[in-house]
Amino acid sequence: MEVLSNNNLYCSAALAGLYDVYDPEIGLNVVDLGLIYQIDFNDTDKTIVVTMTLTTQFCPMGESITTDVHQSVGNAFKDYQVSISLVFDPAWSPERISPEGQEFLER
Amino acid sequence: MFAASSASGLQQTTSYWVVLPFYLFAAVSFLVSCILLLLNTDVVHLHYFNPQTLAITHLMALGWGTMIILGASHQLLPVLIEGKLASYPLAYFSFFLAATGIPLLVTGFYLFDTGLILQSGGILVNASVICYFLNVITSIGDSKKYTVHAWFMATAALWLFSTTFFGLILVFNFSRLWLPENSIEYLSLHAHMGLAGWFLLLVLGVASRLIPMFLISKYDSPKTMWWIFGLINSGLLGFVLLKTFAFYKSFYYAPFALVFIGLLLFINYCYQAYKVRIRKHVDEQMKISLIAVAMLLLPMITLLIVIYLISPDSKSNLILLYGFCIFFGWITALIMGMTFKTLPFIVWNKVYHSRAVGKTPSPKELFSEPLFRIMAILYLLGFFLFLAGIISLNDVLLKSGAVSLVASALVYVWNVAITIFHQPARNGSIKQ
Repeated sequence: MEVLSNNNLYCSAALAGLYDVYDPEIGLNVVDLGLIYQIDFNDTDKTIVVTMTLTTQFCPMGESITTDVHQSVGNAFKDYQVSISLVFDPAWSPERISPEGQEFLER
Repeated sequence: MFAASSASGLQQTTSYWVVLPFYLFAAVSFLVSCILLLLNTDVVHLHYFNPQTLAITHLMALGWGTMIILGASHQLLPVLIEGKLASYPLAYFSFFLAATGIPLLVTGFYLFDTGLILQSGGILVNASVICYFLNVITSIGDSKKYTVHAWFMATAALWLFSTTFFGLILVFNFSRLWLPENSIEYLSLHAHMGLAGWFLLLVLGVASRLIPMFLISKYDSPKTMWWIFGLINSGLLGFVLLKTFAFYKSFYYAPFALVFIGLLLFINYCYQAYKVRIRKHVDEQMKISLIAVAMLLLPMITLLIVIYLISPDSKSNLILLYGFCIFFGWITALIMGMTFKTLPFIVWNKVYHSRAVGKTPSPKELFSEPLFRIMAILYLLGFFLFLAGIISLNDVLLKSGAVSLVASALVYVWNVAITIFHQPARNGSIKQ
C-alpha cells in the first residue's frame, strides 16, 4: 500500500528507518505490514505527523510499535517534532500488506 | 480521509498484574490435578461419583480451565469488544475469591466434607464468578460494541454463573435436601451447563477472533458465528428443559444434534480461515490449538455412545472417558497452545513496552520452544495412554499415562515460570 505524503523525498527517508520497525508478533516491518498511512512534514514549524494504524485497536503491542515509530522518525529528522496520529478508520486489513510482506509471510 | 486521529488514540490494554496471577494459579492447579490423577488411577474402576473424581474434575474445571480462561479473557475482552475492561478491582476480587474458594471446594470434595469446607468454597467461587460476570457485562455495555464475539463472551459468563450457582445448590443439597432428588441426579445438568455453556461458548467466541488474527487470514463470517451461537445455546437450553421435565431418553438426540452441528460449523470456520491464511508458517502453539479443535470430536463421539448404545450398568468408565476427553483432552490441549501464544505477549509488554527500536526479542523468544515440544509430546503420549487405560481398564496403561501427564505438567509449569520471570539481558542477548 502506498504511503501518502506532502514531501516524497522526506517520506522516503522516514520510510527507510521505518523498515527497521517490526511488529514483534508477526515479525514483519510496519511499512510492509501496511500500518503507515501518511507522513506529513511541515518545514515552517518543523513538525512531522505520522498517520498510522494498528492491526487491531486494542493491539497488546500498540504502545511498543508506536513508540518505535516515533523514535525511528525522530532519529531520521532530529530537528523536527514528531507526533503520531493513530487512526482506525479505515481499519487495517490483510489487503494492506505489501507484495514483499506477503512473500515474507508465505515462506 | 482518516477519521478520529490522535496520538492518544492508543488504547491501554489490561494490566499484566490483573492477568498473571490467574496464569500462575492455573499452572499450579494443572500440576496438582495430574499428581492427584496419578495417585488415584484406581478411580477408573469405581463409579464416577466418588470424592477423588469429584475433586480432580473440579480442580481441572475451575483451577485449570476456568482460572486460565478468566485470566486470558480479562486480557482479550478489550480486543474482542474494542473497549476497555470496566473495572480492575472487580478483576482482582474475582481472582482472590476464586483462589481462596477453589482449594476449599476441592479439599471439601477430596475429603468428602460436605459441611463448612465445601460450602464456603462454593460460596467464594460464586462470589468470584459474580465479579467476573459484572465486569464482562459492564465492559460490553461501556464499549457499545454488540458484536457476535461480545455475545459469546456475555452468554458464556452467564452460563458460568448458572453453573456455579446450581453447583452451590447441589453442595447444600448434600446436607439439607433442597432439591427433590439426590445431588447425583443433577450432575449431568450441572456439568453440561459448564461444559457447553461456559467452556465451549467462550472458547469458540474467542477462538473465532484469535485464530484468523494469528493466521493473518482474510476469512471472517459473523453470520456463521451467529448460527453457531444459536445452535449451541438452543441445544443447551433444550437439554436443560429435557432434564428438568424428565423426557424420554430418545429426545436427547435433538440437543446433541444441535451442538454437534454447531461444532462442525466451527471446525469448518477454522478450516476456511486456515485455507486463506496469508501467514503460511503455522507455529507449534497454533498447531496444538488447532488439534484441540479436532479433539472436540472425541468427547462428542463418547457422549453419543454413553447416551444411546451402552446399558446403564456399564456406563461408568465411559462417563469417565467422556470427562477425561474434555478436561485432559480438549481443554488442556487448547490451554497449552494458547498459554504460549498469549502469555509471552503479556510478559513482553511488561518488560519491553518502552524499549528502543531493534533491541528487543520477539514474544515467542520469551519461552523455550524445545521445552514446548517436549511438553506437547509428553502430553499427547500421556493422554492417549490414559485414554487406552480407561477403555481397557488396564492399570499399567493408566499409571504410565498419568506419569507422562505429570511430566508434561512439570514441563508446562517450568516453561510458564521461564516466561513470567523473564528478564531483559544487559548485553542485548536474551536471558531466561
